[in-house]
Amino acid sequence: MAAARARAAGTSLFALLAVLGCVLPDYELLAVSQHLFLAVNVMALNFCLGLGGQVSLAQGAFCGLGAYASALLHPELPGGSLAIAAVVATAVYALAAAVSRPLEKLGEGFLAMATLAVTLIFTNLILSLSPLTGGTAGMMVDSKLSLPFLGAITGDKPYYFLFLGLLLASVLVFARVRASRLGRALLACHDDPEAASACGVNRAAVRSLAFGLGGALSALAGMLQAHYSGFVSPGQYSLELSLKALLFLVIGGPGRILGPIAAVLLLETALSKIHFLGEARVLVHGLLLGLALLWGPVGAFRTGRAGFTNAPGAGT
Amino acid sequence: MASFTAYAVQTVNSGLALGSVYGLMALGFSLIYNSSRLINFAQGELLLLCGLTLYSLTQAVQVNPIFALAAAAVCGYGAGFAMYSTTLGLSFRSSPLRQLMLTVAASLTWQGVAILVWGKKPLLLPRLLPIPAVSAGPFYLSADTAASLTMALTAAALLSLFLAKTRYGRAIRAVSMNSLAARLQGVSPTNAHALSFALAGVTAALGSMAVGPQTMLRFDMGLGLGLKGFVAASLGGYDSVWKVFAGGAILGLIEAALVLTFSAELKETLSYALLIGLLLLAKTGRSCPEKA
Repeated sequence: MAAARARAAGTSLFALLAVLGCVLPDYELLAVSQHLFLAVNVMALNFCLGLGGQVSLAQGAFCGLGAYASALLHPELPGGSLAIAAVVATAVYALAAAVSRPLEKLGEGFLAMATLAVTLIFTNLILSLSPLTGGTAGMMVDSKLSLPFLGAITGDKPYYFLFLGLLLASVLVFARVRASRLGRALLACHDDPEAASACGVNRAAVRSLAFGLGGALSALAGMLQAHYSGFVSPGQYSLELSLKALLFLVIGGPGRILGPIAAVLLLETALSKIHFLGEARVLVHGLLLGLALLWGPVGAFRTGRAGFTNAPGAGT
Repeated sequence: MASFTAYAVQTVNSGLALGSVYGLMALGFSLIYNSSRLINFAQGELLLLCGLTLYSLTQAVQVNPIFALAAAAVCGYGAGFAMYSTTLGLSFRSSPLRQLMLTVAASLTWQGVAILVWGKKPLLLPRLLPIPAVSAGPFYLSADTAASLTMALTAAALLSLFLAKTRYGRAIRAVSMNSLAARLQGVSPTNAHALSFALAGVTAALGSMAVGPQTMLRFDMGLGLGLKGFVAASLGGYDSVWKVFAGGAILGLIEAALVLTFSAELKETLSYALLIGLLLLAKTGRSCPEKA
């Protein structure tokens, strides 16, 4: 029953978004496309945090890697967008999986700090490879995405539907993985890592798979974003993106699908309407995250291990 | 040969200047981690806000050294306590993940406050302690380095005395070893947690007095500095004040050596890569520690 209701809600959400894509004027589409871009990143993070229970702040780096790779590869191989997308997704998948594998043994805070360092390393590499990447100033992306049957993609509407399609694909993959053996293994790692190991789950392997899937999705989102905005700069794919993805995933409930997407769409729309926020944006984001953590939906944070916190018994 | 000596002297000087700051941050990290098993993501923001408050104070009134130290202590203690009551104090019964995320939220919120009140321009905190430059033979410590090092060493000494000799220090150590047993002996874990946050605030405030004259204070410096302090603490192993402090000094020296060997741009990349490597080697922080 519940599954059917969730499917119905999901279908109507995507139908609504598709209708919006047809009726909204171009300048409004631009804003919604940006929300969809963020939503894909949130879904990507959902693989490692929602399923595997690992807090990662590396999403910005993976997304930026996709954006820069696509921007640099397109002039070499014009018209080969699909091939480039496949190469970029596979490469970032492999990289994310390889990076996360040794990190798996780190505990919560330690993993978050290590992935934070991954994003900072990415930003600094972009800055120091300035002959290739344009450094702080970023670089223009003149080449267009081109797809079979559609040709070169330009304009707000096609990109809106590409973002929407990518989001739909990430939702379907996520739902599929969550219901699979892999998903159950990940949930086991999330609920109790030691018990999962004891039951024969290869923790490092399944968790790096989740990291890799999330990384590849983020990279594809970054690729679309690079060609849509026609510009890449380190500021677009910095820690801020990682933190935002984490913020909205936690508000929407990690491990869920519609909650996080709704959180991105509603809150980002609300936040973008409030222009007077200006400099107070960071403060509002922080307060929102805090309030969501204290009183928000519980989501996959429902670890049932009493006494695992600071309550008596902790710390040996 | 002469150039090598000059190189070494410069490395030691600049390495210890930032290394002391990392050491101070690392002390705060390990205090909080030991008492509550929580990684405080907002440690860098503690430093930032204390530094900015001190900056405003120096703009408003004439500040002598004693007054500056007292102000830093009061401000740090208050800030640490405020951070405790808005993060861990509110989420005792929550999962560790949620507590961790609350400190991420605190980091964003405090950074937001810094942007709103002090703006995005870097501000130079003047040198508040009149400690002269030291030179002995070929070795040389600039005034900034001497001041940071003095503050950091004094803080580490006082902290280690406090933890070893006083009743409250013993309470913190007891909670750190076994909070249930400590509770049975009448020690309140809540108070010990709050006290460790407040003390971490004081070390952060001292850190801001050390780093302010060197690199200026900027709204976005917190995360990077916090990360360095965190790695210094992991390097030191979280179990002794002096080892943790030495972790900071060593990290500073390695970084200084990297700057002089490679370009300044690659230095950040290399030092963050080093961080990840060190984290993987360190024994603390495993999600499932091997049974001893």
